[in-house]
Amino acid sequence: MNSQESPADVQESDEVLRILIADDNDSDRLILQTIVRKEGHTVYTACDGQEAIDIFKEQSPDLILLDALMPNVDGFEAARTIRDLAGENLVPIIFLTSLKDAASLADCLDSGGHDFLSKPYNRIILKAKIQAFARMRKLHETVQAQRDEIVMHHDRLLHEQEVAKKVFDNIAHPGCIDAPNIKHLLSPMAVFNGDLVLASRKPNGGMYVFLGDFTGHGLPAAIGAMPVSEIFYGMALKGFSMQDILREINKKLKRILPVGVFCCACMADLSFRKETVEYWIGGLPDIFIYRKANHSVEQFPSFNLPLGVLSNDKFNTETKVAPMAHGDRLYMWSDGILEAGNEAEEMFGEDGVKQVFANNDDVDSVFGELLEAVEVHTGKMEQDDDYTVVEVRQVTEESLGEYFGERGMSGGMVGGPIDWAISYELRPKTLRDFNPLPVITHLLMEVPGLRPHSGKIYTILAELYSNALEHGVLGLDSALKGSPTGFAQYYSERTQKLHTLDMGQVKFHLDHKPTDVGGELSIVVEDTGPGFDWKKKLDDAEHKTEGYCGRGLPLIATMCKSVQYLGNGNQVEVIFEWEADH
Amino acid sequence: MNPSDHVDVDSLAELKDIMEDEFDILIDTFIADSEAKIASMAEIIAASDAEELRKVAHSIKGSSSNVCAAQFSELARQLEHMGKEGTTDGAAEIFENLKQEFTCVVATLKNHI
Repeated sequence: MNSQESPADVQESDEVLRILIADDNDSDRLILQTIVRKEGHTVYTACDGQEAIDIFKEQSPDLILLDALMPNVDGFEAARTIRDLAGENLVPIIFLTSLKDAASLADCLDSGGHDFLSKPYNRIILKAKIQAFARMRKLHETVQAQRDEIVMHHDRLLHEQEVAKKVFDNIAHPGCIDAPNIKHLLSPMAVFNGDLVLASRKPNGGMYVFLGDFTGHGLPAAIGAMPVSEIFYGMALKGFSMQDILREINKKLKRILPVGVFCCACMADLSFRKETVEYWIGGLPDIFIYRKANHSVEQFPSFNLPLGVLSNDKFNTETKVAPMAHGDRLYMWSDGILEAGNEAEEMFGEDGVKQVFANNDDVDSVFGELLEAVEVHTGKMEQDDDYTVVEVRQVTEESLGEYFGERGMSGGMVGGPIDWAISYELRPKTLRDFNPLPVITHLLMEVPGLRPHSGKIYTILAELYSNALEHGVLGLDSALKGSPTGFAQYYSERTQKLHTLDMGQVKFHLDHKPTDVGGELSIVVEDTGPGFDWKKKLDDAEHKTEGYCGRGLPLIATMCKSVQYLGNGNQVEVIFEWEADH
Repeated sequence: MNPSDHVDVDSLAELKDIMEDEFDILIDTFIADSEAKIASMAEIIAASDAEELRKVAHSIKGSSSNVCAAQFSELARQLEHMGKEGTTDGAAEIFENLKQEFTCVVATLKNHI
């Protein structure tokens, strides 16, 4: 039986529901159907459980009155099936029963019923129950609609973040974060957690690594990432010092970020040749150095305020230096790793970190063991992305090769200046406090294919420039640098003379010509000093193996095709020949 | 015979109000349905099938309560209880009373049509 009754006189203010009545007893069904129809609802009827299921599929009624004991499929089973079919929609089921014992009534509820109605039927009670469940349905629908809206908003937010992230990635310099000596864990959306990891080779061959952790989450935390990344990469590649870069980032963040938003950070400058690390930490957890030789761990605490807090005149760019032998590892992290909690809300903490080092047998696997330990601690099988960890390994410069990790680095000789010359004259007021090397390096790096050689070029330029400035223009005696006290005196004289400098010049003349395999760069540096007996100096240099002074020229000679003094020694010409990688 | 001994006439009047035109159909349906069930119950008791007795008696108990036949419903309840206990011993006796009661109920209901 499957009859649809049309609603009779609908009582105002009451919602018209579509109600399925399933009862195998003809007279009972007739009574119920009449009562319900008189309340103004639309009625569907079924004689057993299977029929009830079929009609449910066909009509999706709002409410079901279901007899418990029926032939074929009984009410309990029908209720379970219907509940599964309804999914997350609420379809109230009221069991019709003349069973009186508690166990049977409990069965009704267990199988998915929401209530029961006893025989003989009472019109008043039935009406009250139908109304109650109509309200419950409405409430459920409202909750669902609100939930769907929240999900929609959340999805949109995520989508917007993805778009913003894409823009960020397109603009941001990729740096050398994928260098073979760096391991890092960083959520793909970390920029919206306020975490940032940057790494760049330096023109002199070293490497800068920067970990930043902005306060807050979402867009406010991400806003600062862009300028930090831009400043870091722009300045690092041009050879600016760590102090200059930090000062510039601090200045920018102080200016653009609202009060209360700042960037806890750690920046490290790895010198592969000197086997040291120079570092600055502002507000991040202690960094660790794990020594390969004896598996010891050294800890270095933060000694500055975060970036973006102090104005530049109060900002401290003082750094510290620690020895770091080849194979040693440096660890930097956001506080997320220390705060990673387990079910009992105990933090992983510094002790957790130290335990990992204590248990470690093989330095190569520390990083993996660290992440695993956090996973075990938090009890989450999936990697929790709320923290950022970076491991940097001290390596030999050679093992890193000419890895710069930059996009389009090996693009070959397509476009860019390859045949040109330029002169650059620096006068006293400029010489006083301006470092021309970043600008010149930057200019040279525009030559396609030359960048992998930037380390050597930077070294050459730095040496020639300091000779021209210090010995030529300032007239300082390099012999002073032979002893530690003289060294200090040398630099104090240098500072004082520079400060009051009002005459003299240093002139660069650069000339680059392409060759079949790469290019030839001529660098002439000329100063207005009196010159010197350069023949004698070259001879001396060949015998000198120790000491601080005069070290530059033999080193330069190994890097170049030729080094030649001209005139009375106030001019030097270096020819640097290079081959493109491909 | 006093009709109210067998059927709650006040409640029946109320039911008649609700059912309106369908009241006659309801009574006819109830009588036909019950006759069929009583017939099958005779066979069930003869076959001493306690489980079937429980089911049929349960159905009669429910439907008779809805047409206000309290005594008829009570006898059905006793039979249902027996079936549930897994026995048909003594069922025949109660069944006889139930059949008799049904005759009275039918008479009363038909009076109200």
